[in-house]
Amino acid sequence: MQMFDIYLPIAGLHFNVLLLLLIGFTVGVCGGFFGIGGAWIVTPALNIFGFPMPYAIGTDLAHMGGKSIVSTLRHGKFGNVDVKLGASMIIGTTVGMELGARLVIYLESIGLAESVIRKLYIFFLLFIGSYVLYDYISHVRRSKKAAVGKQPAGVSSETFAMRLQRIRIPPMLHFPTAGITCSVWLPILVGFTTGVVASVLGVGGGFIRMPALIYLVGCNTLVAVGTDLFEVMITGAYGAFTYGIKGRVDLLAAMWMLVGAAVGAQMGTIAVKYVRGYSIRLLFATTIFIACTSVLLKQLKMQTTSSVLILTAGILISGVIITLLFRGVFRELSARKKYETQMEQ
Amino acid sequence: MRPKTTVRTSGRRSWVSVCRCLLLAAFFMQLTAIWALAVGEPPPPKLINVADTRNMAPGISKWIADIYNGNLWLYGLTVVSIMAGMGFALGTGFDRLMGLAGINLGRLEHHE
Repeated sequence: MQMFDIYLPIAGLHFNVLLLLLIGFTVGVCGGFFGIGGAWIVTPALNIFGFPMPYAIGTDLAHMGGKSIVSTLRHGKFGNVDVKLGASMIIGTTVGMELGARLVIYLESIGLAESVIRKLYIFFLLFIGSYVLYDYISHVRRSKKAAVGKQPAGVSSETFAMRLQRIRIPPMLHFPTAGITCSVWLPILVGFTTGVVASVLGVGGGFIRMPALIYLVGCNTLVAVGTDLFEVMITGAYGAFTYGIKGRVDLLAAMWMLVGAAVGAQMGTIAVKYVRGYSIRLLFATTIFIACTSVLLKQLKMQTTSSVLILTAGILISGVIITLLFRGVFRELSARKKYETQMEQ
Repeated sequence: MRPKTTVRTSGRRSWVSVCRCLLLAAFFMQLTAIWALAVGEPPPPKLINVADTRNMAPGISKWIADIYNGNLWLYGLTVVSIMAGMGFALGTGFDRLMGLAGINLGRLEHHE
């Protein structure tokens, strides 16, 4: 294994290239599939294998920007990226993140930063995971009732997002890819709120924005994933620059991680083609619960166990996603071969 | 009339799958933990931002380290440019490769 060790001059340590490729690949698959940056997998993973924490954060942000370009390009060709919606949200997110940072400084000055942020993080992870899981279970029950004939298929009650879309505060915009018409203030405010929360929690915010796009703005799952990745691309590039000028990015490590992440992101993105939206939500909820467990372990001072759990979970979840991809590709190619054979006959 | 053992067998199969997944998860966790313990603690924090290039051979690593030691603003711009360039190139390249596998990579219909 030592023959795969390289010297990283910026971080000032030797590191295994295979490990960088594996971490990049794992977070690439998860990122492309769920529309998240994956910092909560990469940063602890790099840290437990010897990366100093500031360099782990900076290097992750740098590779995240590049990886998100790969996923956004593919999602764009699938028709999952609403650039207009993403741009509207970025305006709100940027302001929100700045306000969130000032809020953290204020909480720090009154000595409440650690306790408030810690509890807020666990609360948000539990809330998001539980709500997404509840939504999935409700959908399964509705589908079963529709199948048995107790409820007409396609009938669903008005969602909270639909009510928010009906609020008429000009300017009203049509977001073509998402297929919604609403006040531009809706995505700006949703972006602002998620920006504040992400900044206070010290995360990129992909795991908050993706469900926010579904449940507050009213996008379908695939458009939420693609549009969120568009935002992660912008924030990742900004983060890479900020940490780069502070000297906290190991560019060589980021380049190796990006090679692995590019392969993973491509596979994770294509996997969405073969998985229905609600199944993506179920896997997303599972990932969030594992992340919550990892954070709880960290609060119990079990740092290494927490990091090992999150990295292992990331590998297993990316394994599930790749299995779904291969199964879907196999079925598609078999169906096409059968069709071509029938046409020849 | 379907025998009751069919329901019991399918239930047992689900438990076997769950146990297999848990065993696989435990195995991966063991591997990762052993690897992490072998690596040890991260190095102590640096007092100043300098990359040690004394024993480095010429190549891409040395070029990156020289930019880092010379000008951090230029380094920041280099990071963004290389990451964006690599992302675009790798994304386009792997996209074409996946297309060669015969998968239809056109626009998707959005089904929930």
